[in-house]
Amino acid sequence: MKYLLTVVAVAVALTPTSMSAQSSDVPRAWDGHPDLNGVWQAIGTAHWDLEDHPSGPGHPDLGAIGAIPPGQGVVEGGEIPYRPEALQQRQENFENRMANDPEAKCYMPGVPRATYLPHPFQIIQGNQKIQIVYGFAEANRTIHMDKDDPEPPPIDSWMGRSHGRWEDDTLVVDAQGFTGEAWFDRAGNYASAALRVEERYTPMGRNALMYEATIADDTVFTRPWKISMPLYRRLEENARVLEFKCVEYSEDLLYGHLRREPTR
Amino acid sequence: MRRTTSLAAVALVAVGLFAGTPGIVPEVAAAEADYHHVHITSFGPAVSVSWYTEHLDCQPIADRDDAVDCQGVELIFVPQPTTGGTQGTGVNHISFSYADLTAKMAELEAVGSRGSGVRHQRFEDGSTLREEPGLFKHGFIFDPWGTRIELIEDSEYLGFHHIHLSSTDPEGTLAWYQDVFGGKTARMRGRLDGLLFGDVWLLAAKHAEGVPATTKGRAIDHLGFVVDDLDGAAVEMRRAGADFQVEPTVPDNARTSARRAFISGPDNVRLAVVEAGFAGVEADHAVAAIAEPTEPFNPPQTPWGEPDLQGVWTGNAAHGIPLERPLDLTTLENLTPAEAAARREGGTLGSIWGYEREWRDTTLGYDKNAPSTQVAMIVDPADGRLPAMTAAGERTAEAAARARALYTENRSAGPEDLTPYVRCISRGLPGMMMPSIYNNGLQIVQGPGFVAIQKEMIHETRVIPTEKRAPLGDKLKTYLGDPQGHWDGNTLIVETKNFNGKTNYRGSGSEMTLTERFTRTATNRLEYRFTVDDQTMWTQPWTGMFTFNLDNDQYDLVEYACHEGNYGMTNILSGARALDRERAGGSR
Repeated sequence: MKYLLTVVAVAVALTPTSMSAQSSDVPRAWDGHPDLNGVWQAIGTAHWDLEDHPSGPGHPDLGAIGAIPPGQGVVEGGEIPYRPEALQQRQENFENRMANDPEAKCYMPGVPRATYLPHPFQIIQGNQKIQIVYGFAEANRTIHMDKDDPEPPPIDSWMGRSHGRWEDDTLVVDAQGFTGEAWFDRAGNYASAALRVEERYTPMGRNALMYEATIADDTVFTRPWKISMPLYRRLEENARVLEFKCVEYSEDLLYGHLRREPTR
Repeated sequence: MRRTTSLAAVALVAVGLFAGTPGIVPEVAAAEADYHHVHITSFGPAVSVSWYTEHLDCQPIADRDDAVDCQGVELIFVPQPTTGGTQGTGVNHISFSYADLTAKMAELEAVGSRGSGVRHQRFEDGSTLREEPGLFKHGFIFDPWGTRIELIEDSEYLGFHHIHLSSTDPEGTLAWYQDVFGGKTARMRGRLDGLLFGDVWLLAAKHAEGVPATTKGRAIDHLGFVVDDLDGAAVEMRRAGADFQVEPTVPDNARTSARRAFISGPDNVRLAVVEAGFAGVEADHAVAAIAEPTEPFNPPQTPWGEPDLQGVWTGNAAHGIPLERPLDLTTLENLTPAEAAARREGGTLGSIWGYEREWRDTTLGYDKNAPSTQVAMIVDPADGRLPAMTAAGERTAEAAARARALYTENRSAGPEDLTPYVRCISRGLPGMMMPSIYNNGLQIVQGPGFVAIQKEMIHETRVIPTEKRAPLGDKLKTYLGDPQGHWDGNTLIVETKNFNGKTNYRGSGSEMTLTERFTRTATNRLEYRFTVDDQTMWTQPWTGMFTFNLDNDQYDLVEYACHEGNYGMTNILSGARALDRERAGGSR
């Protein structure tokens, strides 16, 4: 009993960085950096709402299946520091989420939302670039590790432009160049095209990564703010990211009113 | 009437309105120049020659396959990378005049806009012609390369009528042209200030906003003026303030020993000044083809010891290669570079026929690599044709043909009536690997045991395992199927099954087994072979092949947010509903 307690106490005391530094079971890539290859997924309710949220009703047709499960927030300090006018927009987003949430429309989820959608993603870690292939909406990202002097994003995009580097065992990714149309969750949290995200992926042993994202956007928030959550390796022997081309399932929402027999 | 006297000059020296009598040195202060040519960018000069001959009554020039004589002004078509149409540059359009413009416009409308057809710029009310009070009837068309052309009804001056500049200072610009090239000040119809060179006008309008973009590389690359004495004229031109960018010299591959100089005109317009006798340069397919490898290539290895296919590749060179060998080319080994260029241009024009200026300005894919001279993709069967269909395959093909016929009769009732590509779902396999007119990027990133192949077009990514894994069950079928890869020497072989059959490639369906072979045959070449085996459709498997070229230095895949920006779906469906209403007797 005493032995067990000790183990737990140690685990709690570890911060992500110190853990990886001490961890000998972090898989290593050919160059000695952590090997992040694999299929990963967040568990939790961040995709519903990054902030603390009680349970709530969903679309009535779906009964309890569509209900919003309760969840503890992942925002450091508890609340997203919106500017007052931006908070109003978040509220409007929430009220109109059935029609306007980009996830409902099968639009690319953007960053950081892609990371904690309830779908797995696969990291393919090359020696020059890291490709992340997400299950949802055929979204994918290239993290350029081979640009010493990152050029500005050539065009705005849903998934942004990502440049990465290693800080000890942490993969640090600077993502910017967004369209400003993506949301952060199903609660309508959002940012503008001025969004800049610094992500940190730190191994917590073999089968988990600590994911931290610092979100900066002067036009929407009063200061940068941070979310963090673990990402878990999918341990099923046959784990893989299955194709989920969701466009088909968004077409009624988007084009139902234009059918010969309208459905909306 | 006009120009009968200068026809000899046209035939002899292939120039336009020859103002001075040859041999007489200009006596006026300004150089006495005349229009010589309009230099149009095009990858298939032969197609351009026939377009201007057929549609605008220009004449082919003997011994020249790259130019036409439009009532005295030469249009020279030069194969070179194009970066867009004429609009937005300092040369807004060129103009032709017809005695009966209504009839001419009707004739051009009947041509249609597809491929190398005629595109019309419609006025707000949908008409192609309008009466300009006090001037004449006019309308605008575009050639397939993005040259804006005004057609007018000015019985006083027929044929090639004017060049219309777009200038921040129209008055100053006309004064400059007069100082440098001469020309006679005149007022067209007593209303519009211009210069007359012979009986072709030079007009200038106020540029709408900002500074005009350079003409260099655009559909009209430059305007050419001819002078009798280039050296003498050059002195006068310098005195008038002309800036020589290229001194008088005989260009490489010139057809004659006549010299040419380039000067920079106002509003970023590039101008050539040539000596009498200048007859253009022989086409030089300047974008070099990548040499075929002569010995086996040992590709680089990843640090973990697999063949390294990583990088940004493009299929631009392969765009235009037909799947099947054309029936009239049964024995031809390869196209000539000129034929390949013309073929790819045909593919380009067929793909972007309805596209507006912004697309044409930025997305033309044909300047990246010399086009492939490969005759067809299919290498097996040896005749380059798809093998015979099975009886079931014939039925599938007939059903598809019936569905297509029905579609034009009965437009989309809903999204499902459109293809998965139009709906931005998937191009399927092997469709997603095929070259297209734009966004041809292919990025490969490898990790130990996995190869990620990302196609830029509608952003689809395949993750191929190179170590054996359990296949998906029969109930789990997808658009891009279940791939299993392995390395065979330096070749990545990928076998894919479990297709959902919602896309098809020439009739391939859910029973297809697709076997692909990726082989790096040179640092810059990735050979792609694909074998389609669908015994429900064809009596034997067939194999196609084409090559991707490495383009790491300048190419970066952009995010092709297809579904997110699919205005086409809304427009197609709302258009179909408007037709429904019209058929039901209502208005659109």
